[in-house]
Amino acid sequence: MNKETRAILHLDLDAFFAAVEALENPALAGLPVLVGGRPEERGVVAAASYPARAFGVRSAMPMHRALQLCPQAVVLPPRHSLYRDYSRRVMDILHHATPLVEQLSVDEAFLDLTDRLTAWEEAVGIARALQARVRDEVGLSASLGVATNKLVAKVASDHDKPGGLTVVRPGEEAAFLYPLPVRVIWGIGPVTADRLAALGVTTVGELVQLPEADLRGRFGQHGAEMAQRARGIDPRPVVTEHERKSVSQERTFARDLQDGESLRRQLWRLSQGVALHLQRAGLAAGTVGIKLRYGDFETLTRQVTLDVPTDDEQVIYRAALMLLRRTWQRPRPVRLLGVSGQNLCPPTGQLTLL
Amino acid sequence: MKVSCLQENLSKGLSIVGRAVSPRSTLPVLSNVLLATEAGRLELSATNLEVGINCWIGAKVEEDGATTVPARTFIDLVNALPPEQVDMELVVQTQTLNLRAGRSEANVKGIDAQEFPLVPVPEGEGGISIEADALRTAISQVAFAAATDESRPILTGVLAKFEEDQLTLAAADGFRLSVRTIPLPQPVPDPFSIIIPARALVELGRISGEQEDPIIITITPTRNQVLFQLTDIVLVSQLIDGNFPDYRQIIPQDWMTRSVLDTAAFLKACKTALIFARDAAHITRMHVKPGSDLSPGHLVVSATSAETGDDVSELDANIEGEGVEIAFNVKYLIDLLSVIGTPQVALYTTTSSSPGVLRPVGDVDYTHVIMPMHLGR
Repeated sequence: MNKETRAILHLDLDAFFAAVEALENPALAGLPVLVGGRPEERGVVAAASYPARAFGVRSAMPMHRALQLCPQAVVLPPRHSLYRDYSRRVMDILHHATPLVEQLSVDEAFLDLTDRLTAWEEAVGIARALQARVRDEVGLSASLGVATNKLVAKVASDHDKPGGLTVVRPGEEAAFLYPLPVRVIWGIGPVTADRLAALGVTTVGELVQLPEADLRGRFGQHGAEMAQRARGIDPRPVVTEHERKSVSQERTFARDLQDGESLRRQLWRLSQGVALHLQRAGLAAGTVGIKLRYGDFETLTRQVTLDVPTDDEQVIYRAALMLLRRTWQRPRPVRLLGVSGQNLCPPTGQLTLL
Repeated sequence: MKVSCLQENLSKGLSIVGRAVSPRSTLPVLSNVLLATEAGRLELSATNLEVGINCWIGAKVEEDGATTVPARTFIDLVNALPPEQVDMELVVQTQTLNLRAGRSEANVKGIDAQEFPLVPVPEGEGGISIEADALRTAISQVAFAAATDESRPILTGVLAKFEEDQLTLAAADGFRLSVRTIPLPQPVPDPFSIIIPARALVELGRISGEQEDPIIITITPTRNQVLFQLTDIVLVSQLIDGNFPDYRQIIPQDWMTRSVLDTAAFLKACKTALIFARDAAHITRMHVKPGSDLSPGHLVVSATSAETGDDVSELDANIEGEGVEIAFNVKYLIDLLSVIGTPQVALYTTTSSSPGVLRPVGDVDYTHVIMPMHLGR
């Protein structure tokens, strides 16, 4: 087999937290189940079972909103150590297929199967076998994508959820991506998508039609990268021993923000997102950072090292808010706000006194 | 300015004020030490705007004046001079300080003293007097429990509560709490509380090592600074504005198990556990095993690291109540046991997830609370 052409598999466990809860308590099977923080504590949905998703509930949605959409849902607090145990069993199965496993979070991983194959098509059989083992041995449903790179494999695994297996063979990348909305491309968030829509671009195929120089002119370096990805090109390797340096969330605002209340609200949402990521990855952050971009694109980052590493949204928010207060020149308009957790390590288990 | 003093005195004075210098300030003058003549003495002063220290040394003043010189250069230079008389003369035009000692001569470029921020000096009477030794001990027993991360600025401070004839110091970093009460020679007329940056108190502890007379505490009329007056030294600190959490609510009033231990043996077991615990978030397990009528009780201290190994130490203990297993950050225990100051320590526990209280046996004025870690890990 031509080793220039890679075979990359992406596996994503379906509604993972909710699925584990249903395995632990079979009475929950088929019910709308929401795992996450309590609505009165401004919690967010960490995972929603498929019956709950039918009501329009999505993960990262505020819990009170989710309960408006689906009032009969069963709400459960997350049990991260339990999810980690299930995750480990799944990852062990993946490691039997190849040592080249990059675990993105508790419920998601990339595999590079290239060296195991004599013909590319064999990757499909391996994917099918892995999916069956995860279902039979652990009891969890997984969606898989097989393609020639990480970008396309990840879009493929999302293509037929839950329980799907989507194969994008070498040379088929463009045809697969073009009809899809631009948001499937990694790095295109809601603000960029809106700006593209204003140019009449909603699908990947339409994005590819735009001259690269035009994209570069409008979006800078980001535009050039977008053009590459839209063509299904992604040279990023599968990285084993995935030593994550940081977890971050950032948001570009449709309109620059100038008032403290809006910024604090955004900071809280970003902090919740970072905490959720940390919890899903089974990690804690020793350092909390913020990123602040003003309307004129001046960008500042600030960080604070904590006495005890944390995966708690309140602690992350408190640190981020302190940094924002020290950094933001009120009322200078803010274009982008980000929160990050750095110096990652396993959670310490230290309980808090106050 | 033209002034002479002994190299030894100058060097000592600089070591006292030197720690208040801010080496990386946006204001260049804050990296400098102020030298000013004052009534037959030489005043040395440094500030980082949070903490300022003034110190007076004996000198022969021929001509009054003042200047500021870069602290690092000046301190290194003075420490390199022979232990003799140092003659200093300022060339005002260029703000250059000329030094002569023995057969050495040096010139240090300074910044005009006018640019140096004013460090307040105590005014009039009315300070609160406190025994230096008691204050120093209290600082060493409390300040380490303050937060070093600034995400909750209030917790980087130490609460100082003056009430009747007592001063209570309290600090908490969110995971532990330290509270010490010391007597005041004179009762205060009205109770009041201030929050002093822990860093400032640690400095005070450091520079008060030779202090024998009482230390006088004064709050500035604007109530945003506190002054500590020692013999020939004044330390000024900004106060932290805000409400300190009500620490009394945090101290558990009840307990299930009381274990009395030999402080030195407990500290040694903790230091041994640290060898392995430092690879595992400092988690150290305590297994309290009550004895019977015939045999004493035990406390088993153990730590495990997946990479380096494990250790177990068994200590004799006088135990009242039921057996319990609880895990603590061993660094917190070492911090406390190093300063507790009595031969025996009492550990009060309830469940594996409720706070542990430690008190010196025979000293009711010191209380330390540590929140445990999850046993699951």
